[in-house]
This record gives sequence, structure tokens and C-alpha cells, in this order.
Amino acid sequence: MDDPSLLALVAVRVALAFAPVPETFKYDQQLSSPLTAYSRLREGIYLFDHGVDPYSGGSFRHSPLLLSLFSTALPLTRYTSPVLWTAADVLAAWALARIWRLRTGAKYTKRDKQVIALYLFNPYILLPSLALSTSSIENSLTLLSLMFASRGRASASLFVFAILIHISLPSLLLLVPILLLSISRPVSSLTVPHPFAGDPKGALPLLGEFLGYTALLSFASTLVCGNWSWIEKTWGAFITLPDLTPNPGLWWYFFTEMFDHFRPFFLLVFTVHLLIYIAPICIKFQHDMLYAVFLLVGILAVFKPYPTLSDPGLFISMFSLFPETYPYLRHPIVTGLIHLHASLLLPLFNSLWLRQGTGNANFFYASTLVFGMGNGAALLDAVWAGLRVAIGKLDDGYEVVQE
Amino acid sequence: MPTILQKLAGVATALRQRLRGGDDPNATRIRRRQVLTNKLWKGLPFIRLVLFLVGYLWMLALPSSQFGQRIYIDENALQPAQVHTYWNWNDVHRADRILEDLEQLRDRNATNDEIARYSVGVFEKLGIPARTQRYSFDTLGGAINGTNAYAVMAAPRASGAEAIIISASWLSRTGEGDETLNLRGVAIVLSLAGYLKKYSLWAKDLVFVISDGYLDGMQAFITTYHGLPQANLHTEPLELSSGVVWTAINVDYPGHSFSHLGIFFEGLNGRLPNQDLMNSVGVISRHTGGVPVVVYDDLDPRETPSAPTVVPSWMPEGLKNNGDVQEYAMRAKVISRHVNYQARGAASGVHGLLHQFRIDALTVYAVPATGPHGFYALGKILESSLRTMNNLLERLHASFFFFLLVRPEIFMKIGMYLPSAILVGTSMLFSGLGEWVNAGWLLTSVSLEDEEKSEKARPRSVEKWVSRDRPVLDAVTVMIATHAIGYVFWEAVSRRLAHPAILFLIFAAAPLLVARLPQPTRPGSAPVSAVLKALNLCFTSAVISITAVLNFSLAAALAVFMGIPLTLASPSPRLPSRIGKYALYSILALGWLVFCPEDTGKALWNWEVLRVWFAPFVCVVYVPLVLQSALVCWLPS
Amino acid sequence: MRWNICSKTSLLLAFHVATAFALHEQFDEDLHLRPLRDGKLLSRFSFTTLLKGATPRDPQLLSVDDEAQHYTLFPLALGQVLREHAVTELHLSLNAGRWNYEAWGYPDEPGVGTGAELWAWMGDSTQTSVDQRWQGLRNALAGLFCASLGHLDEQRTTSPSLTFQPEGSLPNFTYPHRLRHATLPSEHVCTENLTPFLKLLPCKSLSGIASLLNPHRMFDADWHGLGVHVRYREDAGVEVRLTFQAVFDPVRSSNDRRRDWSLRSTFDRSIERACPVAHSSKVRVELPHGPSPYSITPEPTGISDSVATYAVDASDEALDVALRWPTEGSFEYPNTSKVPPLTDVSVRRTLKGTSQAEAQLTLVITNNLPVQVSTGYLETMPWHLQFYLHTLKASVNGAARDDLVSILSYMPPVPHSRPALLQAVLTLPPSSTLHLTMDVLKPFLRYTEHQPDAQRGWDLPPAVLVPFAFGETASQNHTVSQPAGTIQGSLVRPRRIYTSILLVDLATPDFSMPYNVIILSCTLIALLFGSVFNCLTRKIAIARVGPTPTSAARQEDHTPAPEPQAQ
Repeated sequence: MDDPSLLALVAVRVALAFAPVPETFKYDQQLSSPLTAYSRLREGIYLFDHGVDPYSGGSFRHSPLLLSLFSTALPLTRYTSPVLWTAADVLAAWALARIWRLRTGAKYTKRDKQVIALYLFNPYILLPSLALSTSSIENSLTLLSLMFASRGRASASLFVFAILIHISLPSLLLLVPILLLSISRPVSSLTVPHPFAGDPKGALPLLGEFLGYTALLSFASTLVCGNWSWIEKTWGAFITLPDLTPNPGLWWYFFTEMFDHFRPFFLLVFTVHLLIYIAPICIKFQHDMLYAVFLLVGILAVFKPYPTLSDPGLFISMFSLFPETYPYLRHPIVTGLIHLHASLLLPLFNSLWLRQGTGNANFFYASTLVFGMGNGAALLDAVWAGLRVAIGKLDDGYEVVQE
Repeated sequence: MPTILQKLAGVATALRQRLRGGDDPNATRIRRRQVLTNKLWKGLPFIRLVLFLVGYLWMLALPSSQFGQRIYIDENALQPAQVHTYWNWNDVHRADRILEDLEQLRDRNATNDEIARYSVGVFEKLGIPARTQRYSFDTLGGAINGTNAYAVMAAPRASGAEAIIISASWLSRTGEGDETLNLRGVAIVLSLAGYLKKYSLWAKDLVFVISDGYLDGMQAFITTYHGLPQANLHTEPLELSSGVVWTAINVDYPGHSFSHLGIFFEGLNGRLPNQDLMNSVGVISRHTGGVPVVVYDDLDPRETPSAPTVVPSWMPEGLKNNGDVQEYAMRAKVISRHVNYQARGAASGVHGLLHQFRIDALTVYAVPATGPHGFYALGKILESSLRTMNNLLERLHASFFFFLLVRPEIFMKIGMYLPSAILVGTSMLFSGLGEWVNAGWLLTSVSLEDEEKSEKARPRSVEKWVSRDRPVLDAVTVMIATHAIGYVFWEAVSRRLAHPAILFLIFAAAPLLVARLPQPTRPGSAPVSAVLKALNLCFTSAVISITAVLNFSLAAALAVFMGIPLTLASPSPRLPSRIGKYALYSILALGWLVFCPEDTGKALWNWEVLRVWFAPFVCVVYVPLVLQSALVCWLPS
Repeated sequence: MRWNICSKTSLLLAFHVATAFALHEQFDEDLHLRPLRDGKLLSRFSFTTLLKGATPRDPQLLSVDDEAQHYTLFPLALGQVLREHAVTELHLSLNAGRWNYEAWGYPDEPGVGTGAELWAWMGDSTQTSVDQRWQGLRNALAGLFCASLGHLDEQRTTSPSLTFQPEGSLPNFTYPHRLRHATLPSEHVCTENLTPFLKLLPCKSLSGIASLLNPHRMFDADWHGLGVHVRYREDAGVEVRLTFQAVFDPVRSSNDRRRDWSLRSTFDRSIERACPVAHSSKVRVELPHGPSPYSITPEPTGISDSVATYAVDASDEALDVALRWPTEGSFEYPNTSKVPPLTDVSVRRTLKGTSQAEAQLTLVITNNLPVQVSTGYLETMPWHLQFYLHTLKASVNGAARDDLVSILSYMPPVPHSRPALLQAVLTLPPSSTLHLTMDVLKPFLRYTEHQPDAQRGWDLPPAVLVPFAFGETASQNHTVSQPAGTIQGSLVRPRRIYTSILLVDLATPDFSMPYNVIILSCTLIALLFGSVFNCLTRKIAIARVGPTPTSAARQEDHTPAPEPQAQ
């Protein structure tokens, strides 16, 4: 934060954090999922402080790390919480800017402000943060881990990443590219593809290190809550989907309407489907691991079990790291329009279903489908542009095709 | 000579290209795509025009007698008009006696408290626990005070988890709550309470509400009942409570007697009740009460000659007496009233306030006349309607909330009227996309000599698309800025900071400052106005098509007000025309401020007291969108 | 005349036979009638069978054969159930309607919560667990009383031992006793429950007080409920008490809206003859203490502290008690806002809010006494409504008073399996009103978990208040209500106050959609998957599209940029 205008940005952001937000934000299902909801976190802390094991019930599914952090070091009050969440966002934005500088290799670029602003004031990120959804914390952890990885500080990156895994398991998708990123360089080489520089074997010890951190944190969590029940309640939730509260994602209605005897099968399919993407993306973009991470973040934004708006938000904000791809996006305006419609439809149909009672569940389901299409379109644009940029501008009369 | 040969060769190669698809299959595929896109591009203006025409014509065709289907009852549990009613002349006499008391109260213009206490006294004499509720709204127009009376009759053997509300407001809806009193409505509710107490068949509690004022009283009661805090409302807590309310009926009986039963159903923010309820009450009114039903209080001149004619006078006689024309005019009148209520999000009666809590409610309005019906018929209708509501085992839920009622027994499903607005939105979307392409690409024709020759062979190669970069960021900044202005404007209007004319001038001029935001057009990049228009059109179409699901009337109104004008907005080189266009658009955006002050006042009252979001919506969405197109005209091309 | 003699002789015979067997069994029946303030009439039937010297079965001995059961008066069907599952104490109540504490005061039988309520104290054992026997017990009772008690499964079962103390004594078995409690608010009591109930009586409904139990009238009452109470009295033995309470509205049924009543006008019957095996059979009428004079016929056998008692004996003439207010015309209802409520504490529980995703639970508890009252507060909430305890707020006329609430125990709910159990103690300042509010969460169910009429929502059990500690300044007779019902004055049972039940509407999916959802979602996923892999796997190449001579010429010396190799 070496610039008065940046300070101004942050100041505005803080002011927004303390602006009176409507009560409905607190329980809004687009802004916070059952696994990231602030009210559930408060409930868990309350139970923990009053000697009830929060994991004996069914509503608290946050990580023991958050539980211990907020029940001891950082008490959540009407004043601290907005500050903490804003701090998380600012940290994330700063990390993003750092990554941008490392990518360009410059000490200071004119786009820094843009990058930071694009994160701090991206509505998809701003609103969940105002609703105090812990997904903002997940985002900042992701970006921090990325930042350390791009700086080559593997241990720090992996430790942060282990914390992230404890808070949200699906981020495990990012493990491979982050490992590879930390042993390669983050500079943009999309335009000049080349085989992976550096020795992939070098990632193995790092993997061991990561496992060590994870085991350590798991042990700590078990110490915190005295038994292993937290694993089934926090990590298990991502796999067994016990809470069917609506969210902008694709899972909830599918498994609300799923026949009981098919449930396990489709849970397996949906989970494995997430993992399929890792290998091809990492291979195809081995010359630019940061871009691979970016694409996998996009995958998470679409196919995550319990997404909130801040997951696509992170993806969209990370677009600002790759300006070289802008000219080659496939249909940016179409993608933008789908997103516009979806982001207007989601809250509207949610209230038509749950508050006005004139529409039924299908309305909101339809809007989630549209939202999924929007995110999918953005993802496709990114994939295409990432490959297309390698060829560069063509004289007229020539077109790029895939065969 | 060689030229001819060349030409022939060129034609030959062209033919080969066409037939064998040339050397590279991908290339041919891309060429085909290009041909297709070019065709589309050429046809775009035509498509836009067609969409516009079909959309608007569809709207005009809605009242025609060809549209619509007969109503039916979807929920089997309702069983309307299947019960024998026991409401008899003794109860009518009791109602008359209560009416006398009320008239005395009116004549010695008693205070709200006295009236409420009287009602409570009546309820308590019947053994029904009753209380009063004082309330006061503070609005900029001054405080609104009043006292409600309400009673909760616990149904025998019922758990008290469900309830039905029977309400009558002290002021009638006639003239939207001018001083017309609803004495008979109140009287029949009070006497109905004593009558219904005699039966043990109720499965739900009955909550009787005598709300003070026209809308304010019920708003105070129902928000307190559901524990919804409202900043500017100060009220006593309710000492009696009951369970979940699914259905409610509101009685409005201003005249001495009535000829028809009018049904009012629009709720706040354009929410409609479940159609089953209205259909049931209609059926009951015809079969049990023997009272004809009308939508609102518009009598059909073909049935009651006394009613005012609906066909405009300038029409030739031949058309005036044409059945179809009369039908069209009648339906058009109904639809226009419906749109007028729904688009403003205004409640057409006290029932509308209950809609915000997922209560399906309607107002039965005894259309004042010299006869033949009175308490007797109305009592029967109400009793039977309540029995029907009492039959419900679950909340009314079949997707019966989206409809357009054109006659008491004829309605349109959502699929029959929704596309009209959507089509207009789509057309605007296409226009926006077209503008987007225009902003990004220039179609320049290259006129080289050999090109000229080869042109005949390959017509594609003569005109070239030259791409230029679009100042998207500038356009977006302008849009955000205008909406910010819209918000400031809303604050100013809702606080009534200045005289409307002054506000008009200020906020009509404000966008001119915004026009200075974007830096001057760089050479080789598109003008901001083009991108702004593209984004503006796209956003508007999104707003229209999405509002259509929530509140069709509002969407249709937006389509009418913004469809053509925003599409036609275009920059012009000459200053006078720029100024003229700008003025026109700013009048379209803000003219209502000056020209219809009373509607503005009503909308603001609705916002202050009833939290109707129509006024803020207009200020923060509609006004900025139109101002943006004003800027499109203003900004240099 | 002849049949009369025959019947008499047969009756005498039966009597002798019965007494011969019934030496170690004693059957008492008792009808208690109380005119209420609002013109209604409360009637409480109580049929007590005492098995002298018997003890409950020790669950440790479930494996060994039970001793044979020979009963003459004691209901065999019930006895078998009790022995089979080794139940020490059992309370079952099936009620319809909401008890109006303000106007009717405390009921003689405390269990007046709407719907079905079953709670039992059972000795723990290593043979079969308490929960297994609890399941067997509720199924057996469901069959016995034709009630859907089978639904009282582990999703509704809790163990609120602070609120539901045993009413009898618990024999000290090898292992301590455990409480199981469950409520089913949507259960509705009707004739099919009364018939098996009557079968358990030694005289059925043929003679004695039970002959008044006329379904047509009982189930037209404003409130009615039947109860089965089994307890072990150390000094006496195992006692089964069958009760039926009903609140009638004479004003409603009379044409000129008078509150006069008689047994015949109320039950459409009169007591023709006594039950021969009954050890005692009384009809007790509480005499009204109002200003207006009344007349009671026939002359009661005895009157003690304004309770007229009639002994139902084998006399010939039928007993038809009637209470009249000769001077008064149509009944004048008391003004509910003027007269004081008849209970120490009155409570209203409502569910505020409009969303189907969250709501706010509010309790308004008024202390009607001039002294401070401490009351237990119990919520046994199925997981269909989940508390946010951290939002629990207490306030007395506007001022926050969180110190008045102390939570004793809380067991969070587990979706699809376990209800929440919240036991707290509320301190009510003298003659003031305490407002409790708490945000609650409405979960989203799988489409198979919804009830047939899904749009109705779910009935939630009542909360229970138990006022236990009253301020020192209170004199002995501080309560504004009548003393609680006593059985032969043997014990005073704790007063429980049940709130009205709640109806919560949970958001429903579209039940016709499963296939469509599977198809649509899978299509979208497959589409994205396909296009992503399409992009990733296919090789990128450059094609010559516009073969203009110039460009064609340029194409020769055009060197395309290096393509990313598709590995």
C-alpha cells in the first residue's frame, strides 16, 4: 500500500464495511452457504464457549481452526467482524497485486490500482464480505498461498494452503499446480509455450511437506474439539452434502430431488468429476502454472459443492492478472450478458420462491442453471484465450481453427 | 481478352471452391460460418423491427376476445359453494342494529379510540377476546395516527396454529381512502363474528380486524402480527395472537345496497393472490349469494344500461354497436386498471397489504347501487367463502399466481401475455449487440483495381471489417455515475428537498457533468457514445425481461416507455439537434416530476408507509437509463 | 319388571364374583365437574385401578419368564404391555384443541398439550436397551389405542428429566431409571381412540360413570383429551389411572345462550346404574362462587368446601345432576381484558417472520403474581426448526435482561435423526412481562422427506413451562388458581403449562421434477465438460480463409506462430 490513492480505495472499502446492510444479507443464500455462514459460525462459537460440542449437532460445519481462532484470539463483535473481513479482503487484494507484479516482473505498474480495485469492489466479492461469509477468508488464503508460491517461498505457500484445505476441502484441486508453481516462475509465458521448466520430481518433497502441515493442523483441530467428529462434520459435508440449503451452485437441487438409492453414486460422480480437470489443465498449461491455477479456480466456481458468489468472484477478479488474453476472449459480451441476467435473476427468484411464495423452487433452480452457464462461458473464454494467445495476431484472411 | 479469361478462371475456381469446399475443410467451415454471420448481420435491422412490431401488437391484442380461457378451480379441497349457509334475517337485523350504533358514532364524529373500543365491546360481549392497537406512522406529510380493533376467536378443538383473517377498514376503498366510510362493511364483520361463534366446525382460528384509516391501519396490524419492524411505525404490541394465516378476505361495503360484487386482488409490489381464491369467491357469489361478479367496479354497459359506456365516443356508430369492439373496450378497461395498479405496485384494496406475508387475500367490494342486494346476500357469500377457506388442508400453492384477469370468468395464463414484453426486450438486446459490433468494427470497403476484378468472383473480399478498440471502461463509468445520480435524485425526491421544477432542472443537467468523465476519444477507437448505447440497451433489455416475471405490468410499461426511444437514441453532429434530443430525453426521464405531481405524491406515500419499491425503482433504474440515452445523444459521435 | 329383577340378580352375582377375585385389586371412579368463568363446563373422568402389592418388572429379569398375570379389574391388555417392556411409570395423553389457561385455569390433569404426548420412566438394563423397549412400548400402545404413536420415533424422542419428574416412586433396580419423552402435535384424538380406551374399564361404558362417555357429545366439546397414567406407589402398588377431560360449552349448545347444564344436556345421558365392582364411585361438582344465585339438583350426598359430592350407588333412579342459574338470562361473558388470568404465569409462543428459510421464535411470558417467579422452560424441537442460541434475547418492557435466562442444558439437533432439547430456567420479575426472542433456521428437506400435504408445513410440539419457585413474600395461597387436581388427596402433581403448538412451513421442491432436474443438471455439466476438453485436447491450427490473391501471395511467406503442442 505505497500509494495515497490505494489508501483511498481501502478507506472506501472500510466505509462500505460499516455501511448499514439490510438484515436479509445475514441469511442470504447467494452470499453465504451453510459452510460459510456467519450466523452458523457465531452459533458454533456460542456452543463451544458454553461447553456444548458444536460438532455434535448438525448446523455447525466450520473448521475447528476458525472455531478456535474466533473463540479465543479474535472475538467476533459488531465492530471487529467487519474490520476482520475487510482486512481479509484487503490482504487478498494486496496478494493479487503482488502476484501481478511478480508476473510482470516490474516493481510497480500502472495497473496495480486497477487490479486492487477490481478485487475490492467486485460485487461478487464485496457482497459476501459484507454478509461476513467466511468464503472471503478462503479467497484471501488462496491468493496468499498463490503469492508465496509465485515468490518461490514454497513452505509458506504450502502452510497457508494447508489451512485453506482445512477450511474448504475442494480447494485441493489447486494442490498440483501450486506445487509446480512454487518450483517454476510465475512470469507470463502464455505467448511462448514451452515444456515445463524445472524438474517435476522436485515437487515430491514439497508434497510431503504439505501432508505434514495438514497432519499437524488436523491434530491441532482434534485437540481443540477433543474428538475426531469434526472431520465428518466439516470435510464430510463437502462429499456427502448433508445440508441442502439452496446456493448458486449445481449440487443442492440435484440432490434434493435425487432418489435415495442413487444418492451415493451421484455424490461419487460429482466429486470425481471435479478431479478430472486437474491433469489436462496442468499438462496443457505446463508453461504457465499460474494460468492453470486460474482455470482450476474457474472450475471450482462452477462445480463446487457449496459455492457462494465469492467463488466466481475470485475467478473474475483473477482475470485482471492476464491482460494479454483479453483480445482473444471468445464471446466476452455474451458471457457478460449471461452473468448480468443471472446475477439479477438469482436474488429475484430466490425471493419469489422463499419470501413472496408466488414462484416455486424451479424458478431459483433455473436461475442457478443460467448462472452456471455464465460461469461456464467465462471458463471457456479463458481456456480458449489462453491457448489462442500463443498464435498472436493474424493477417486478415487467416483464421485459427481446432482440428 | 485476358481479363475475360481471368474472369472465367476466377468463376471456375469460385465454383470449385463452392462445390468441393476448397482445399481445407476447416477453411470451408469458417467460410460458411462467415457467410451465415454476414446474412444475420444484414438481416439484423429487419429482425429487430419484427420483434418490436410483434411485441407491441401483442400488447394491443391482449384485450381481444380471441385471447383468454375460462377460469377453473385447481385446488380440490376448496369445494366452493358446496355448503348450506345458515345466515338468516336475525343476523341481518343484528348487523342493522350494529350499523345504527356505528352511524351514531359517525354522526357525533367519535374519535378513533371510541370506535375501536366500541368494536372491542361488541366482540367481548360475544365472548371473543378482543383488544385495540394504537399506532402512528411518522411521514414527511405529518404523523398518521389511528386505533385498530381486532379479535381472535379460538376455534374449538383446533390447535390454533392456523388462522383466517376477516377484515374491514374504517374507510372504504372508494376514492382510494377519501372520507367515504365503510360502515356496512364493519357492521357485517361484527355481526358475522357473533354468528360464526355459534358453530364448532371451524378448523382454523378466526381473526377479525377492524382496521382504522384506509391502508395504514392494516399495515400497522399485519406488520406487528408478523413481527416485521418498520422504522417509522410506532405501535402497541398485540396482546392476542394466533397462528399462520393462509387466506384472508376483506369486506368493503360503502353504499346502502349493491347490485354487483366487485373483486379487487392486486397486492403491494404487484403481487397477486392465488387465483383459486378469487375463482372460489366468484363461484360462491354467483351460486350461493346469487350476486353477479365483476372485476373491480366496472359494470358492463351491455348488462347494466345505467353503467357508463366504455367505447370511446369518436367511434363510428357501426363500430360502437359491434359486439367485438364492445368486448375489446370492456377488457381493455379492465386490463388498463390492472396495469395501473400493478405497475405502480399499489394495492387495490386493504387486502393487498396481506400479500407481503404470503397471505392470499382479496377484497369483496359491494358495488354501490339502489339494490337489490344487501346484508343478507353478502352474509351468505362471506359465510360460504369462509367455509371454503376453512376447508383448506394446505397453503394454496398450484402455480396460480401469474395471470391476467380480463373478465370475472375469463383469464390469461402467463404464457399468453408474457412474451409481449419479452419480445420488446429481446429486440433491444439485439439492437445492443448490433451497436456493440458497430462500436468494435468498421465496415470499410477497399477499392483497389484488381480487388475490383476479383470482387465479382469473391464478393466477400471487397468490404473489410476493420476492428477498433472500445472504450468500455469509460462507458461503464458513465453508467455507474448516472445511477449514482439516480440514487442522489431518489434521496432528494423522497426527502422532498426542493420544488419539483427545481429538482427537474438540477437532475436534468447533472448528467452533463458525467459527460465530461470519459477522456476525449482516442484516434482509432470507437466513440464512447456507441459503447454507452450498446451497454445501455443491453442493460435495459435485461431489466425489462427480468421485471416481466416479477411484475408484468411494470415490465410492459417499461417496454412502452423505453423500447423505441432508447433504440432511436443517436448522437448528432449539430449542436441544436443535440440540445433538442437531450431535452426530449430528460423530459421522458424526469417529466413526471413536473407533470403528474399527485401520482408522485401517492408513490412516495406508498413508499413511506407501505414500503412499495416503485418510487425508488423509477428513480434509481428508470431515470438513469433514460438519462444515459440522453447522454448518448449528447456525447460526440 | 321381570328383566329388572333378572338384571339385579345377575348384577349381584357379578358383584360377588368380582369381589371374590378383586380382593387385591381396587377400582375407583370419579367424575369432577367444574363450571368455568367463561360459561364453559369442565368435566374430568378418572378411573383408577390399583394392583395392591404389585411391583414393576425389573428389566434385568426380562430374560427369565414373568410370573403369570391374573387380573379381574386391572386392564390385562395394558398390564401385558407394561410387563413386556418393563415400564415403571407411563403417561400417555391424546388431546384435541388448545387449553385456555387464562380462562380455565390449571387443568386437573396437567398433560394438556395439543396432540399426543407419551413419556415413560424405565429401568435401564444390560438385557435390552431402554431405547429398544421404548420403541416396542410405543408400537404396542399405538396398536392398543389405534393412535399413530409409532411416529414418536427417535426424531422426536428426548429425555427432559428435569421437567417430567416421576409422579410415583421408582423401585431401586440394579440400574437407574431413564426417561423417554415424545410428542406428536399433529395427532388428533377421536372415537377410534375412545373405544379401546373404554375396553380397558371393568364396566366398559355399560354402567357407572363411564356410561356418560358418549362419543357424540365428547368429540363435540371445545376441548377434550384422554390420558393413561401408570405409576408405582411404594406403599400401595401399581396404579393405572385412565382419565378423560372435556370442556363443554353449554352456552353454544343452548338456544337462548344460557349456561345452565345437566348431565343429560351435556352428555345426552344420565348415570342409570352404578358399576358393581367399583370400590368408590363419586360425582363431584364444584359449586360456582359468583354473585348470581344458582340451584343444584338433586340434593348432593355431601358438600365440603364448595364441592358437592354425589355417591353413585346401586340405587334405582338414574342420577342426573343439573346446575342452573334461575335468575340470569343469556350468559354475560366476562371482559377478557378486565378479569385476571387464572394461572400464575401466562405464555404466548409465536413464530414471526415471512421467509421460508429463517424465522424468529418469540415467547411472551407474563408473571401474574406480585412476586418473583422462577419457571423451568423446556423446548423439545424436531430438527425441522433449528435454534440460533446465540441470538437468544430476553427483555422486560423494552430493556434487555439477558440475566433472567439461564440455560441448563442444550442438545443441538442432528438433521434427519435427532431433535433439539433445550432446558432453561427463566426468572420472571413480579407482575411483569418477559419477551424472549430467538432466530431460528428452517432446514431444506429432501423431496422424499416431505409429508403428503407438503405445503401445509410441520406441526411443532408445544413448549412446557414449570413454575417452581415463588418469591418469599408470597403467602401459602399465593396462586390465583384452584389447587391442582389431587387423586384421593394423595399427592400434588407439578403444574405444567403447555404453550400452543406451532406450524412451520418449510420450503418445498417441485415434487414432479426429479427426472427433469437430473436431465437438466447433467446436460449442463456434460456440456461444460465437453467443451472444456474439446478446447484442451484438440490441436490448434491456422487456416487460410480469405484466399484473396494478395493474401494468397502473402500466404507463401507467412510463417505461422509456433503452435502450442498438444501433448
